[in-house]
Amino acid sequence: MTERAADMAAVRVGAAAARPAFWARRKTRELGLIWLFLLPSLVIFLLYRIIPLVWNVVLSLEFWSPYRPARFAGLYQYQNMLFYDDAFWKVVGNTLIFMASAPVGIAMALGVALLVNQQIKGRGVYRTIVFMSYPVMTVAVGIIWQWLYNEKVGLINYVLISLGITNKGIPFLESFQWALPAVILASLWQVIGFYMIILLTGLQSIPPNLYEAASIDGASARQSFWRITVPLLKPSLFLCFVVGIINSFNAFDLIFVMTGGGPGHATDLLVTYIYSTAFKLGHFDYAAAMTVANFVLFVGLAFVANRLAGGEAGAVKRSA
Amino acid sequence: MKRLALLLAAGAMALTAGFVTPPSYAADKQITVVTWNIPYYQKGFQQWVDAFKKIHPDYDVKRVDMKGTELPAWYQTQVVAGTPPDILDLQGGIWLQYASQGGLLDLTPYLKKDQDYTKRMYPEVLANWVYKGKNYGAPLYISKTLLFLNRVMMKKAGIDHDPTSFDEMMEDAKKMTGPNTSGFITLNFDWLYWPLFKMNGIDFVTPDLKKAAFNTPKCVALVEKLAKLTKEGVIDKVSWTGRWVEPNSAFAAGNVGMLHAHAPAYLWFKSKASWVNKDTVGAINLPGGWSTPNSHALVISAGSKHPDAAWDFVKIATSGAGAIAFGEQTNNLMGDKIADAELMKYFEKNIPAVIPALKTQLENLDKLTGNWPFAQDAAIKEAFYPELQAALLGQKSAKDALDAAEKKVNRILEAE
Repeated sequence: MTERAADMAAVRVGAAAARPAFWARRKTRELGLIWLFLLPSLVIFLLYRIIPLVWNVVLSLEFWSPYRPARFAGLYQYQNMLFYDDAFWKVVGNTLIFMASAPVGIAMALGVALLVNQQIKGRGVYRTIVFMSYPVMTVAVGIIWQWLYNEKVGLINYVLISLGITNKGIPFLESFQWALPAVILASLWQVIGFYMIILLTGLQSIPPNLYEAASIDGASARQSFWRITVPLLKPSLFLCFVVGIINSFNAFDLIFVMTGGGPGHATDLLVTYIYSTAFKLGHFDYAAAMTVANFVLFVGLAFVANRLAGGEAGAVKRSA
Repeated sequence: MKRLALLLAAGAMALTAGFVTPPSYAADKQITVVTWNIPYYQKGFQQWVDAFKKIHPDYDVKRVDMKGTELPAWYQTQVVAGTPPDILDLQGGIWLQYASQGGLLDLTPYLKKDQDYTKRMYPEVLANWVYKGKNYGAPLYISKTLLFLNRVMMKKAGIDHDPTSFDEMMEDAKKMTGPNTSGFITLNFDWLYWPLFKMNGIDFVTPDLKKAAFNTPKCVALVEKLAKLTKEGVIDKVSWTGRWVEPNSAFAAGNVGMLHAHAPAYLWFKSKASWVNKDTVGAINLPGGWSTPNSHALVISAGSKHPDAAWDFVKIATSGAGAIAFGEQTNNLMGDKIADAELMKYFEKNIPAVIPALKTQLENLDKLTGNWPFAQDAAIKEAFYPELQAALLGQKSAKDALDAAEKKVNRILEAE
């Protein structure tokens, strides 16, 4: 060994001696602690999300019943879903319509938020009134609207007849044309207060000097709205949009109480149809295939929503 | 600080472990009995338990009461978990799905062995629980459809006699229809509307249950007629959209002339309406005597670890003193002929208003319809009813709806 090589070896030995062991390193310990804290959540996530999801995919490829051993079915359930079950396409359409109603609700909530954000007398009362529907139990909302829509004794028909708009009651929940819009309206009524609060918070976080500057520069109210309010409300609007989409996928209880999915499948959503297929018809395997379709649809929408929000929704930013 | 963090993490893990620990299993000698939406039935149930314990003192009895809407989902998850309840109270045709897949115990050997018990039962009611020659249910209480008449509205419309045919019934309904009133309303779940078809000579399937038989010109004409009457308000639209609460509430409101429902509806709508009494509401058999049963029976899970003890409990609950206790406390007639004789005396003395409705429950037992033993009963209903509903509510023509329904029903029947 040359003198230089000996020196280099000594430096390496010295460096190794100076470096702490893997488990003794601060970074490792920190990382270990993070994982330790995360572990309970991860276990629960694995048990209640990942395993059921994987099992659901397996189930969708089988002929399965609680009473018999499972048999491999290949893509039979998917074939049935895509080519033979016209109700499936109907409920997918209903789910998309229900989802498309979320932006309508958000637009209405934005209008209300703008109104109650003005310096008007009693605005606190107005805010409370609009918000009041949100904490009401969904089952109660369903029952209230069932009565409001009643063909013979409902308030809505009473008003319509009194105003001469119609000469006989409209069977809102018994009609194939009216049932879905009627349920959507009830759903929007319930959630609009929630959207309003989110948007109001967003509105109040916009610095007033931006509007003052715009006004000095001669911007009209419309220009201020589109150039200042809407861009700065983007995070709040995105949050409302995501909540709206999730609500439309999970609007089970309202449908269940108001119409049970009927008439026909006029108000069935994917989630209600999956439930009745599994638990009323006992076709768990077919319901599993539809759940996979539901999952794919949901992931697709989440992806689109994320792209629309700039591709960073939910990203954790590392602090400097 | 680090120690605190570690302690917190350990606590969180312990909590997680708590989540995943399986529940402890019940004692070995225990039978579980699931009842259908009768939480108030406490005293009588205890009578059943006391009688059972006299012959099985070493057994415990656990009771679970479920709402009808929740019971199937709950039961099936219990089956998957490997802990099915021993005894289950089931209604309508739901048992067929379980029985056809081997989920229920065949009670035929027990019924053959216990002739004293079997002879007490109405054979027609027992036959309701037979699938492919095997009996899967012990009748608990009897319930089948009948026609309730709003005598106040009939009188106002000048109707002085009860309808004796479908056409007469609809004519009467027309007379009672107004801007805020309807002439007729029916329950529609579990094939309860089918007597309207049967009384018009329409069969749902061929006698061998292999093919749909309903798609005939006669049926098209009937559906067109029902749709027209619905559009005119003679038949309340809730007939085709509501379940239990909505049609019965509509009748209770006093502005519907006739209600086609099963006997338990009487005390339900009576409890909602002060105008209802024996003079204002009549109860008769539907013209032609046809009706759809919607009875309850006790079944035993195939997975029961104590089938013999479970059978003993079932016998106690559905016959003799046990049946009388149930009938008196839930205001129903039972599947036991001898118990029913006692129960009729009890009702005549205590709730005379219910007698006309109860009498119909024991009549025309040979004219039951809508109780076909299809393994896929629920799937067939799902295939047929939305199409019929679309025609009745004017969404589709009767011909198109029946064509589509026939195709769907036959596809299921072929797979049976």
